[in-house]
Amino acid sequence: MKPTDFGIPMDKTTKKAVSIQNLTKYYGSFKALDDVSFEVGRGDFFAFLGPNGAGKTTTINVITGLSNYQSGQVNIFGYNTTTQYTQSRRLVGLCAQEFNFDPFLTLHQLLVYQAGYFGIVPKTASKRADELLERFQLMEKRNLRHRALSGGMRKRLLICRALIHDPAILILDEPTAGCDLELKYMVWEYLQQLNREGKTIFLTTHYMEEAEKLCKTIGIIHKGRIVRIGDKKEVLQDKTLEAVFLEVTASG
Amino acid sequence: MITNPIGVIALSKREIVRFMAVSSQTILPPLVSSALFMYIFGVAIGNRIAFEATGFSYLGFLVPGLMTMHLISSAYENTSSSLFIARWHNHIQEVLLAPLSYFEMVLGLLAGGIARGVMVCAGVYGISFFFSPMGVVHPFLLSYFIINIAVIFSCAGMMGALWAEDFGMLNLWNVYVIIPLVFMGGVFHPMTMLPPLIQTISKFNPMFYLVNGIRYSVIGVTDAPLLSCVVLSLILALGFFFLTVYLFKRGYKLRT
Repeated sequence: MKPTDFGIPMDKTTKKAVSIQNLTKYYGSFKALDDVSFEVGRGDFFAFLGPNGAGKTTTINVITGLSNYQSGQVNIFGYNTTTQYTQSRRLVGLCAQEFNFDPFLTLHQLLVYQAGYFGIVPKTASKRADELLERFQLMEKRNLRHRALSGGMRKRLLICRALIHDPAILILDEPTAGCDLELKYMVWEYLQQLNREGKTIFLTTHYMEEAEKLCKTIGIIHKGRIVRIGDKKEVLQDKTLEAVFLEVTASG
Repeated sequence: MITNPIGVIALSKREIVRFMAVSSQTILPPLVSSALFMYIFGVAIGNRIAFEATGFSYLGFLVPGLMTMHLISSAYENTSSSLFIARWHNHIQEVLLAPLSYFEMVLGLLAGGIARGVMVCAGVYGISFFFSPMGVVHPFLLSYFIINIAVIFSCAGMMGALWAEDFGMLNLWNVYVIIPLVFMGGVFHPMTMLPPLIQTISKFNPMFYLVNGIRYSVIGVTDAPLLSCVVLSLILALGFFFLTVYLFKRGYKLRT
């Protein structure tokens, strides 16, 4: 076991960042996830695609512990997300779709408290928060509340919050939805840099070019079932991702 | 049992900073209303109440009741509003995603309720010095009751916040259950002033024991057996705490 910068225990021999086996999840009588099984390798850049309502966000919520599930097993770097949830959660950073920030806190306070929940002392947290705010060009807004930010700035703040504890895997739920081109390229570049540094990236997006450009492996979910998964070449087979996507999700 | 102390401290600090930032809405109002209660009921009306037989002035009897009443409402309001707003804005996810055990989450949220309750309770006691200075007969026992009562109603506030679907529902428990029980628990009157039937019914009101626990600690007089007050407050505090931890563990209205 080797601690990362913030003392997170990591088993270096674990090759699977995410391992999901036979996951089934219902909302009432609606089966949102139907016997889903797949793995994401350590250091991978994984695109998780699917039409609206296919089960992408539900899968993310299960991985991060925001949703209960009826059967199956989910492990993050070997830690079970139900029985070893405090260990597994240390390793995950989530950039959610919605802007769910505490309205009473400034940007800097928000990041420092979030780091604190992950066991990072205030001095280190403050330094890390400033680094991220600088990196995502939010330093000028450091002492403002999130309501003072534009939509693009809030997106960046979501990413800062997800990264504050230096997670081993970063999960992004449509991070560039509604972003202008400049921000989109900035996010892409930063995600690629993080991936080169060894971070596992789990990305959901509706932009096929984004997935095609950034990712090494691709999984497609449709009506709660995995319908295609593999490395990029294997999934594409000389077609465009858009063509593959439309082909496997054609059943309505 | 606590594996992430920094996380618990961070959450506790956030909860305390939250209510302190709006102290004019969270700390000041109960102090102002207590001062008015003390002046109107304790001084203006209280001097006309034949209370000498108890060995205390009516104001002396009233102060511990007011301390308990505001301790209860402050602890309840703090956690219920904080957790409900966090659910409403969905920034509760910040806590749910963190490597805090459910025990630690509840502990962190509890800190705000306890801190606010203790501050208001101490403030009410402080205000009483302007009307009639009095010492505390059993300070350790007073701390014991204050902490237990703050835990009970901070946890009740969290449960209310989890149960509520809108702001209207959030106040239902407070308005229709807690406040009536507190008023009937002997905040303003000794039980002996009530008809025998009501006295008997009051013995089933848990607030009666909590109010009397605080009153005994401050002025050394109680209508309820002290042992009952000590044991019941501890059982309720532990029961409410672990029930709240269980609800968090189950993800009741927290996880889909």
